[in-house]
Amino acid sequence: MSDVGERTDPEEAAPRASRRVRASALLAVVPLVGLVELGLHLKQTTSDVVPDSDWTAARDAVKAELRPEDLVVFAPFWADPLGRRFFGDEIATLARSARPDATRFPRAFEVSIRGAHTEELAGWKKVSEKQVGKVTITQLENPSPSKVLTDLVTLVRPETMTVSRVDANGASTPCSFQRGASAGGSTVVPQGTLTPADKFVCGSGHVGVAVLHALDHHPHLCIFATPQPGGVLRLAFKGVTFGESLHGHSGIQWLTERTPTAERVELAFSAFDRPLGEHSHKVGVGWVGYEFPTPELAGKKGDLVAEISGPAGQRYYCFEADTR
Amino acid sequence: MSDATEKEPASAERPAEAETKKEPTKDEGEGLRAWGRKNLDPLIALGLAGGYVAALLATARSLGFSRDEGFYFSASSEYKRWFVLLLSNPSRAFERSAIDAIWQANHEHPSLMKSLFALSHLFLHDRFKVFQDASTAFRFPGMLSMGLAIWLTYMFATRAYSRLAGVVAALALMTMPNVFYHAHLACFDVPIMAMWTACVYAYWRAEAGDAKAPGIALEGPGMARPAGLNGAVLVGLVYGLTLETKHNAWMLPAVFVPHALLVHGRAMAKSAGRSGRLPVPASLVAMATIGPAVFLALWPWLWNDTLPRIQEYVNFHVHHDYYNIEFLGRTYFGPPSPKSYMPVMIAATVPTVTLLLFAVGAFDRVRAIVRRARHAWLPPKEKSPAPAGDRLHTDALVLLALVVPLSVFLLPRTPIFGGTKHWITAYPFLAMLAGRGFQLAWDALAPVLAARFAALREATPRLLAQAALVTAAFLGPALVTAHSHPFGLSAYVPFFGGTAGGADLGLNRQFWGFTTQSLAPYFAEHAPPGATVYIMDTAWPSWARMIEEKRLRPDLRGVGSPAEALFSIVHHEQHINEVDYNIWTEYGTAAPDHVLDHDGVPIVSVYRRPPRRP
Repeated sequence: MSDVGERTDPEEAAPRASRRVRASALLAVVPLVGLVELGLHLKQTTSDVVPDSDWTAARDAVKAELRPEDLVVFAPFWADPLGRRFFGDEIATLARSARPDATRFPRAFEVSIRGAHTEELAGWKKVSEKQVGKVTITQLENPSPSKVLTDLVTLVRPETMTVSRVDANGASTPCSFQRGASAGGSTVVPQGTLTPADKFVCGSGHVGVAVLHALDHHPHLCIFATPQPGGVLRLAFKGVTFGESLHGHSGIQWLTERTPTAERVELAFSAFDRPLGEHSHKVGVGWVGYEFPTPELAGKKGDLVAEISGPAGQRYYCFEADTR
Repeated sequence: MSDATEKEPASAERPAEAETKKEPTKDEGEGLRAWGRKNLDPLIALGLAGGYVAALLATARSLGFSRDEGFYFSASSEYKRWFVLLLSNPSRAFERSAIDAIWQANHEHPSLMKSLFALSHLFLHDRFKVFQDASTAFRFPGMLSMGLAIWLTYMFATRAYSRLAGVVAALALMTMPNVFYHAHLACFDVPIMAMWTACVYAYWRAEAGDAKAPGIALEGPGMARPAGLNGAVLVGLVYGLTLETKHNAWMLPAVFVPHALLVHGRAMAKSAGRSGRLPVPASLVAMATIGPAVFLALWPWLWNDTLPRIQEYVNFHVHHDYYNIEFLGRTYFGPPSPKSYMPVMIAATVPTVTLLLFAVGAFDRVRAIVRRARHAWLPPKEKSPAPAGDRLHTDALVLLALVVPLSVFLLPRTPIFGGTKHWITAYPFLAMLAGRGFQLAWDALAPVLAARFAALREATPRLLAQAALVTAAFLGPALVTAHSHPFGLSAYVPFFGGTAGGADLGLNRQFWGFTTQSLAPYFAEHAPPGATVYIMDTAWPSWARMIEEKRLRPDLRGVGSPAEALFSIVHHEQHINEVDYNIWTEYGTAAPDHVLDHDGVPIVSVYRRPPRRP
């Protein structure tokens, strides 16, 4: 690619000529990279694509061995919609798809394509691996599974829960339970979380179960609870069976969490008129866990109270907890 | 394809030999052939451009409407009213009330393309019924812009380098999947790419000194002869049209001013020293005067309250919202933008062979500039022989036209939500340098082939060999581009793993909800009559047009919330996961009824409200 006249040095001429030949050879093959692209493209659009039949066969294979307490995950995460579609509502349940974490599941089926794996199961013991077409089904065992005794998310209904707003002077105002239509959604994003159809209504806020879009963009089924201005939101769960610990998570809709602030939402648990623990959620930390040991309550059954306080603007605060 | 083997690229100063050959004419047929030979390059360019526009038209109906298109359809329909008024009652059309009422629509963007969309709709759809779909009429000027971009890319590269380079440059531009997608749309991105290129080309021709135009001042050894008056006026007009196409045009002075200083600076200084006057290239003067005048003249919104409205226009773009865009698994929504975004996205979306050829061509031309600079700055005694033919004018211009639109995306405050389309103006110049790179590759290969196959010393076999090499290089990109339709924004190059590779890397899969239309077969089969559909990221005007043109079943009713809908859709983008999860909350299920995918990668999920549970 010379475009200037060059001085010739006899001693350098030979190696320069050799370099030039090599450069020419290299240059000449550059257009042929297009053929490699062609080959890769043909492979990527035919044999690399997982056919529907493989997904269906994988579903049948998992279904044959699946127990109700098992977890089913799809990897990579972008393939999750395909997995949920092909595995259907019976296998890809909300409880599995929008789990708080994997600790409660004793066993998991990881359904993966393209050699991907779920980070969440990294410490689990691999029991078996099966190839169904292009889908890999890996069965894993949780090295330390926790048995959930009561999941608070399942108690959000008037029969098993009361909600009230407690003023600074201690006056309590009950929040009524409403069944109706959900609210929210539009054709622009962000939309915020849909207000669920069934919920306790407290002033301009609510308490109800919905799926949180957490900071890590993963879904978590949890109890949305709007902090009350100048007061405390009091949730009393009835008939909770206590175990060795109270385990849970909290989060705020990702749109709020993605801009960290100094704001905090406080969550305090108590039972049998004594505090169990407090969890402080700082805006920006994402979906975080907490655990309070309750060995002295193990085996007891009673009411569990959760009190939430914080800035009124955090209407998308959500938490979940279980006893185990 | 002429063979530019082992010779310096042609240039505007020294156009490609094939263009200037004069053929004797004996009779009419011979005259026609001579005319054809004389105009071979424009004809080749026209063929490439025309073929591409035909492909765009043939595939237009299978591509849904993006959010912006919906808004531009609406604005153009308004503008059409004004043109109708102009034809029927011109004096009324120029009254302030008529102007402001109509041209306020979408006044954050200049009006040229929307006016063309409107006129195309008025004449090619309403009046002459050339197009059955109103949307195709709206889109047609954008498609023609792509044709213009191809024509210009071919002509520029052919004149600057060689005919082979021109063909390859045009093919390189034609086989970029993202460009193919944007070229369908009634939007401004491909039009500004065309106008940016047109402006640079016009300036190049003008400043190079058309042989027919009288030269004025500023001549010196190794310098291009500057613009004649006609050329300069043309540059001014083209720049005005470019300003009126999209605000990217305001960056063009960053191309032309440094270029003028680089190429003419020394002569300007000498002239200033001699006469005390600073001679400015006529093209720049024309751009600074005629350009803004055209900009104002063609945008009726600015005819009243001109300064406040210009201020509003500037403010809108200076303080533009940041939208969400995923890059390497993270959604960005504000500054600072990642500096790696632009280079990684180019590498991931422009065919690799094109980029490699570009690298070869760019290296060649940058090296030439460096040598030219060394030659200029070294003391006379140390000077190497002068460069063979001065191409600083061309090389500097092509590189500046490439680098300026790209460099903006290295600034931390530049929003990146538009993906590759926001630096699309660089692509014709990237393609040109790829053409130059291909020429160099051929130059390296040709002697080897000729030594082995004597037949290749003849013109026709050599031409066939060139064609075979071009095919080897661009068949892959062409198939990738064709395969990407109608999911052009989901397509990533094979070396990045294709569509699935892009998903693995956490690269954006789409934006602006244009993929809704691809659900038509599903709805046709599964939706009961009058079914309600939550249309999610689809803009209302886009949905309305799809229904009107029966691209979707016309009895479907769009609604604005999953709570109202029997079917809810989710366009898969990371930040839109919230909609997915909202639908789970509303429907009580996480299992979609259908997932529209491209190469096994989810594009849109469709949920169907389950029967009410007891």
